[in-house]
Amino acid sequence: MDETVAEYIRRTVLKIPRDEIKSMLQKWGFLSEAQLQTINFHQIKDNISQEVVHLCEENSADIKQAAVLDIIYNHIYANKRMWSVYQMQKTAGEEPEIFDLQTFKKKFKRLLLSALENVTINFREYEDNAIWIRVAWGTPYTKPNQYKPSYVVYHSQTPYVFISASVLKSNLPLLCQALLVASNYHDIREMELRSHSLNSLKDIVFKKKQYCISSQLSSCFFSSFFSAVDVRIIQENRSEKERIQRVTREIFGDGPQPQLEFAQYKLETMFKSDPKMEVLDKKEPFRCLVKFSSPHLLESLRSLAPAGMADAPLSPLLTCITQKARNNFKIKEKKSSFPESCVSP
Amino acid sequence: GVFSHLEMLEAQAHEADRKQEEKKQQEEKLTSLKERVEELRIQRDRLQAKVDLQKKRQSGKEGVVSGAAELSAGAVLEWKIRSVKGMLQLFYLTGISGKLTKQGVCFSISTAYESTYLDSYHLDLLTKPAVRIHRHSVPVFIPLEQIAKRYLQTDIRRFLSILSDHLNAYAGRKYQADQLQERFSDQLEGSLQRNSLCNLLAFNYKVPSGGKTFPFSARLIYRDICCSLPTEVMVSCTVKAPAHLEETAAAHSELFRHMALHKAFCTFSSTEEKVD
Repeated sequence: MDETVAEYIRRTVLKIPRDEIKSMLQKWGFLSEAQLQTINFHQIKDNISQEVVHLCEENSADIKQAAVLDIIYNHIYANKRMWSVYQMQKTAGEEPEIFDLQTFKKKFKRLLLSALENVTINFREYEDNAIWIRVAWGTPYTKPNQYKPSYVVYHSQTPYVFISASVLKSNLPLLCQALLVASNYHDIREMELRSHSLNSLKDIVFKKKQYCISSQLSSCFFSSFFSAVDVRIIQENRSEKERIQRVTREIFGDGPQPQLEFAQYKLETMFKSDPKMEVLDKKEPFRCLVKFSSPHLLESLRSLAPAGMADAPLSPLLTCITQKARNNFKIKEKKSSFPESCVSP
Repeated sequence: GVFSHLEMLEAQAHEADRKQEEKKQQEEKLTSLKERVEELRIQRDRLQAKVDLQKKRQSGKEGVVSGAAELSAGAVLEWKIRSVKGMLQLFYLTGISGKLTKQGVCFSISTAYESTYLDSYHLDLLTKPAVRIHRHSVPVFIPLEQIAKRYLQTDIRRFLSILSDHLNAYAGRKYQADQLQERFSDQLEGSLQRNSLCNLLAFNYKVPSGGKTFPFSARLIYRDICCSLPTEVMVSCTVKAPAHLEETAAAHSELFRHMALHKAFCTFSSTEEKVD
């Protein structure tokens, strides 16, 4: 077995938390159950990985098989990577596609291999029709770098692709081209939507859980919320609190919000100040970047008004994130009679 | 000793009483619901007759006015809202139900396959200034935009009916594939290859014959995505097999073309038992 493969397997096993190593190796299925029984999973990880490498040598693992273990790890720990969403376009009015996985894989591989000989390509399909693609990139003169692969997650017959590109961004155009050819679309563009939570990104673009019951139905739940409070406490501004709750519920709905870590607004608007103050002598746009960060941005936005920290309803710039499926905005001056800013597409 | 035994008996008697109460309540609820269903059926028939009558009247009227083109936008909108209201009551029992909201209408399409209820999908429509979709829970691989582009503005009923066809067919195909994987996994070799729309299924399965099992491979293509039966089926034995198995392959192919997938597999197992 190649030394680079051995080292790669060793390092991949070291990434896995000790309690999960056994189950991941079982999912991998490369080592037999009998072989797995011989490993002591209670020793330090260094030793566990050495034993795994040793067994893989017995089975003569190659890099493609080792890459499968990497996919399994990244599928479970997808939150460790930053994912971007890309949208593909197709000429309208075509017949509904008969998506054939084998054809997709063949076309994808063929395009990449024709452009670049030194690539390692792996596919793995999951129950929810997600196709995971792992590509390790090399150059015409060097072997693929297995430690900086790109990951693509694609659900067949949808126009959205989730890419966690490696640091080597120069391969992105080639990757996009391969995806277009394989999936039969003709154009791809990056959406302004990024997050560590792959599932949240899927929820936003596939519009799952977007459907919230209309506020008329939910008002019955609302009254029970207030009745749980101690009767001796008198709510002085009850009607205002109710209004805030209602407005928040109308905007955000009842269910959990998708998990985004930031919302970024690049302002290219004019600085509005008292003309006498003359803060800026030149009349040019005041460039400014506003970034909201949070472990769970949308949940924190939802709790702002009820907590009394912001007025309800919140600015539409904040509440449109899920609807517009973006968390990166450019705000330019609106060239019309309204002195408001508009969000550019 | 005796007291605790008595207490236990008392508790048991209470429990039995409570259960009987519950059972009675459930039976009462069931009969009242059944009565309601009957009521609604009668109402539906009445309304259907009304709508048909109004349609006839409307088509008569429109024939006269079409030349004048003086139907104001307001009148058209009124008509649209009225026809939508009519449909809300009409379609309730056909799996499409809806209710009016502040800004428009909210439809719910429930899917079912052969007496099994499956998922429901929702559509929030705005009616002013024009009919358009506000929110929905339709899966992204259903061509909702295409269907909406063609029918939403002109004929809401047709839009809903076609969308319902798509969703029901998709739900049916998915149900068959899921059932196959769940109930006949021992006959399948390897994994079932499918896609999001479930309009292409490919799998390998074992066919027992004369004490041995032969590997067969099947490929089902559903070109009509409003249909839950395949339009093309290819079944073949993957190894060189005795001639009579070719007949079996052809028979299976016919079966898959005309029968739900999991039911077809049911018939294999039962015919095999008969042969043995």
